[in-house]
Amino acid sequence: MNESSLRKATPGRLIAITVVLLILLSPFLWLLQMSFKTNDQILQFPPPLIFRPTLENYVALWHSAFSASFVNSLLSASLSTALALLFGVPAAYALSRWSGRGKHGLSFAILVTRMAPPIAFTIPFFLFYRWIGLLDTITGLVLVYTSFNLPLVIWMMQPFFDTIPVSLEEAALVDGARTRTVFTKIVLPMVTPGIAATAILCFLYAWNDFFFALILTRTNARTAPVAVVNFMNYEGWEWGKIAAGGSLVMAPVLIFSLAVRRYLVSGLTAGAVKG
Amino acid sequence: MNNASRANSITRRKLLKASAAGAALAAFPAPLIAQTKPFAGVTLHGASFQHRFFTLLQKYIPEFEEKTGMKIDLQLSALPVYNQQANLELSSGGSAYDFVNVTFTLATRWIAAGLLANLDEFTGDANLTPAEWNPKDFVDGAQVPYRDAKGATYGYSWEGGAMLMGLSRMDLMEKKGLKIPKTFAELQQVCAEINGTDGVSGMVSWFLHNWNLPPYIQGFGGNIFRNPPGDPMPTLNTPEAIQGVEFYAKLLKSAPTGVLTYTEDQARQAMLTGRANIFIHSSAWVTPILLSDESKVKETSRVVRSPAGPVHDYPASNSQGLGIPKNAKNQKAAWEFIKWALSPDISMRLVKEHGHSSICRRSIITSDEYRKLNTVNGQDLGALYLEVLELPGKGENYMAYRTSKEFPIVGDVLNKAFEQVATGQLPAKDAMNAAQDQAIAALRRAGTKL
Repeated sequence: MNESSLRKATPGRLIAITVVLLILLSPFLWLLQMSFKTNDQILQFPPPLIFRPTLENYVALWHSAFSASFVNSLLSASLSTALALLFGVPAAYALSRWSGRGKHGLSFAILVTRMAPPIAFTIPFFLFYRWIGLLDTITGLVLVYTSFNLPLVIWMMQPFFDTIPVSLEEAALVDGARTRTVFTKIVLPMVTPGIAATAILCFLYAWNDFFFALILTRTNARTAPVAVVNFMNYEGWEWGKIAAGGSLVMAPVLIFSLAVRRYLVSGLTAGAVKG
Repeated sequence: MNNASRANSITRRKLLKASAAGAALAAFPAPLIAQTKPFAGVTLHGASFQHRFFTLLQKYIPEFEEKTGMKIDLQLSALPVYNQQANLELSSGGSAYDFVNVTFTLATRWIAAGLLANLDEFTGDANLTPAEWNPKDFVDGAQVPYRDAKGATYGYSWEGGAMLMGLSRMDLMEKKGLKIPKTFAELQQVCAEINGTDGVSGMVSWFLHNWNLPPYIQGFGGNIFRNPPGDPMPTLNTPEAIQGVEFYAKLLKSAPTGVLTYTEDQARQAMLTGRANIFIHSSAWVTPILLSDESKVKETSRVVRSPAGPVHDYPASNSQGLGIPKNAKNQKAAWEFIKWALSPDISMRLVKEHGHSSICRRSIITSDEYRKLNTVNGQDLGALYLEVLELPGKGENYMAYRTSKEFPIVGDVLNKAFEQVATGQLPAKDAMNAAQDQAIAALRRAGTKL
């Protein structure tokens, strides 16, 4: 099959793509239209497809504790992503360049922490945090997310470093560059797509986390996913706010992913996922 | 006397007064302060799930803070979030909360595990609880979940829910010559005859079958457990239980399509718009057909006792309580708050100023003011509410199944079994036989001795 046949947009293909897109996007579109309806309109049967949109749900969110939770989510997800990359990228580089006997064992040990389900760590974290006063703090959340993201960063980034020829670094060293310079000026720029892809996955993990945030936060550090659940009241669910909150929770991830999509595609296809 | 000497004499007088006051304070400082605001400076940390009661109470909290000098840090979360967090906090021996909501489904577990303070120690001390606070004023049926086997009290109820029957289209019923159903058989007949008339469904319900179904099982003489809470052997496949399941599944044939997944507010909306004729659920969900501004069926609605079964008349009820964790740091201060929040004064203000009627103080529910506010179209909703809320406190505590610690496991099994029956996948007998085996196996896996 040549390239031009792959690119040909036949009606059949267009229909197939449209159907797939509709299936994939319909939950999101449904959520979005709900966010512009009043609770009464949402509960109407059959649901009205043509309606006068309202921003009242978004305004209510803005004036509620949700806005603080949204900031908490942004802070904990971005700080933990930055920290995980700060420690994980050099660790992956070191592991890549190390050829000692225990390399595979160490690599596996690092991954094991990621294999265990979060529930296994939640109670120890809860008790420990209560003891040292980190319960319901952004710092506490950042540390948890960082500890869970570190193995991911190391395992994602190591294959990227493996693909860079050691001779390139040796040449730079011969030219008088210091090890740190070689790492920051030569190696890191070559693995930028990998870092971008890894950053997205780290951010997504922290941003989407519900369980740790549920157990380890109360009010001060409550994150957006937990705040959305708080609209499910005993006396009824505030559907409009849930939909608006859900739409807002999706927004940063979409924006972030779109901003780095070029790196994301090359990163995911050139690194660890490559067969 | 010149200005300077006058100023000097005033200063001397002021000095003398100040010295006298200082000496008096030095002689009796602590008792004076203690008599006024003994808990001044204390910050009380409390938690509950979000509920209108607390939203309204928050309006009055500044008064309490002013009066006592305490600060109230009240953390409100969604019900599942709150239950999760409170369970973890209490069961791990934490002291983060000074007062908590005792969710009635968790009450037995928390009390049996010794996680809550015995409130009799507070109500029994005249220095801590004045006689007029009167613990016996709380509706007995609402207090049942908050007592241990010996009768000690671990919580006081702030909210009650009593199962009632709402009928939104009495006009249709009258046209067809149908009377308000008082028995299961009559209910079946009314639902079937109304269903489809004017596009109205016979009845509506919601997805939590482990809440809706047991009153029918009990109505036929069955139960969820053999003798809860002492004997938690499931009894899902008794002939009575099977009969209850069959009956309720048949009732839902006159409900709107998709009723098995309806939420409570979807069901309420169906009633408010007159799309469904009957909804049997807690008063807070049913009475809006008469009380809500959104209701389009105010003129044609009635709220009455739910129909009685051939064996028992056991309408469901529940209450939520306030309690003090065993390890709370400020127990006496927390009791001050609970006393104030559940005082007759605050209860009456909630009723009068906000129309919040689901409180549990008998003296308020039976007061003329309450009756006046809650009598709509000649119907005394308060009397209905009180009557149903009282029932589990009289004779058999038939709601004990709901507060058994085994219920969440068995309830899940019951939900799945009922869906199989309602969707026609399995006959009731087969579904409930399988459910019985599954419930026993699940309980044994969870470590319950049967």
